[in-house]
Amino acid sequence: MIPTSFAAAISDPLFAKGFGLAVLITILVKVVVAFAVLMVSVMLMIWFERKVISDMQNRIGPNRAGPFGLLQTLADGTKLFFKEDLLPERADRLVFRLAPYFSVIPAFLIFTVVPVGGVVTIAGHVVELQVADPPIGILVVLALSSLAVYGTMLAGWSSGSKYPLLGSVRASAQMISYEAVLGLTVVVVVLEAHGLSTRAIVDSQASAFWHWNVIRLGVIPFVLFFIASTAELNRPPFDLSEGESELGGGYHTEYSSIRFALFFLAEFMNTVTMSAVVVTLFFGGPDGPGFHVVRWLWPILWFAGKTVVFCYIQVWIRAALPRLRYDQLMDLGWKRLIPLALAWLLIVAGFVWSLAWGFAIIGGCIVAGLMLAQSMKVARLRRDELSLAGERGEGGDVVPALGSAERVGG
Amino acid sequence: MGSLDSYLPIFVLFVLGVAFAALSLVASRLLAPKRPTYAKEAPYESGIIPTHELPQRFPVRFYLVAMIFVIFDIEVIFLFPWAVVYDQLGRFGLIEIIVFAAAVFFSFIYLIANGALDWGPVKRVRPVSAPTSRTSSSTVRRVSGSDGEAA
Repeated sequence: MIPTSFAAAISDPLFAKGFGLAVLITILVKVVVAFAVLMVSVMLMIWFERKVISDMQNRIGPNRAGPFGLLQTLADGTKLFFKEDLLPERADRLVFRLAPYFSVIPAFLIFTVVPVGGVVTIAGHVVELQVADPPIGILVVLALSSLAVYGTMLAGWSSGSKYPLLGSVRASAQMISYEAVLGLTVVVVVLEAHGLSTRAIVDSQASAFWHWNVIRLGVIPFVLFFIASTAELNRPPFDLSEGESELGGGYHTEYSSIRFALFFLAEFMNTVTMSAVVVTLFFGGPDGPGFHVVRWLWPILWFAGKTVVFCYIQVWIRAALPRLRYDQLMDLGWKRLIPLALAWLLIVAGFVWSLAWGFAIIGGCIVAGLMLAQSMKVARLRRDELSLAGERGEGGDVVPALGSAERVGG
Repeated sequence: MGSLDSYLPIFVLFVLGVAFAALSLVASRLLAPKRPTYAKEAPYESGIIPTHELPQRFPVRFYLVAMIFVIFDIEVIFLFPWAVVYDQLGRFGLIEIIVFAAAVFFSFIYLIANGALDWGPVKRVRPVSAPTSRTSSSTVRRVSGSDGEAA
């Protein structure tokens, strides 16, 4: 059995042989439509963000290219094609060229597992309105968003310049920190959906809005996921990797022309996709009341509407909140969000089993929270002791804290 | 379901994405001018000509975060299969995950208490030594005589 399947895997790595023409055409149409939708939605998202922020800052915003400035993004993109593509002399040339691919390709792929509508029947074939429905759907999202770290990291590292390096080191530490939160909150959703496929997650929330995970799991997992996804995307208020006021442009400072455009594209594509993922995980995806008129259309409209709402919230947050300091960012991620996500997971698991277990676990989590507060206090006292010892010129008799070794005596 | 056929669309979109990025770069190469100068290719430092070599080292905390992240990421990876079959595991699954979470949590507490996740400069706790004669009335200079009037 194993040799035959192995041989089959070698000759036909994607098991495409058993497919009829209809399936192949369906896949191609889906992929092309998804590609077009992604490109257009990115174009509109950039315009939307600029326009909404302009409104919030009492400006007009782009209004020259096309009606309401809708084609401004297209104009900017076209302009970038004609700009000189510079390769810094100290750059690692191969990695510098590869990094934009690492950034933009995961951005394209995450959208494939998001269910945008229900199931329709076209000419006798049952078609899911979703580009791909792998059985581990939500893990694909997490894996691809982890891969995006490589784009940021390699771009900054290969530039051979100070600010991009700092930006990329910051960004990768930030992205991996919040990835743990992202993973822990997704586990809560999986707990309730009994499956990893995004279709299963959406189906488990169907039929009424009080079945949506945002309500069923308590609001906490949604809030944690939304904060973590904002941080994962390096969007304000977590945009320390490209803090203009301190790092020039961050990890893509040295990039120009179309290479820069690819990073920009990836960033906004990720914004749209992450909004779609939030909708899928916590707001029932395409779920919503429909009518009998054009039954396949309503779920798509619901999905698009909810996604636009979250895109708007992302823009709103960007306009409203100031950027965090780096230590605040790390403290928020590690000392608050991760313990809270873990505690909420255990609490939900307890309540799934019985009410008594649930309350017992809540009690346990409160004790654990007190322990955490105590440990933070210990760390703080230790730091104070260290800095005092450093000022007295001693420092030898105090064990240096793990993270602050380079600061001792400084 | 279950076989790799559900991954084919992802692969096709992957090819399309690579093709899009590659074609954009080719188009840019055909359309864009190529007039590099020394100033354009130098590392960007807000207009200052860089004098130092690029720093080869960065703070050890970033490595620490990466290592601690591995602990939590592995925890999350173990949680996914558990979450899928949680209903079938019953009470055993619950107790198991409490033990597992506690083990991770205690190591996390240890890290926090050791300051492994502390960022930012060490706080200076120098005793304040302002002269005792200094009060608000000696510091705030009144331009006009009366108290009620703002300067």
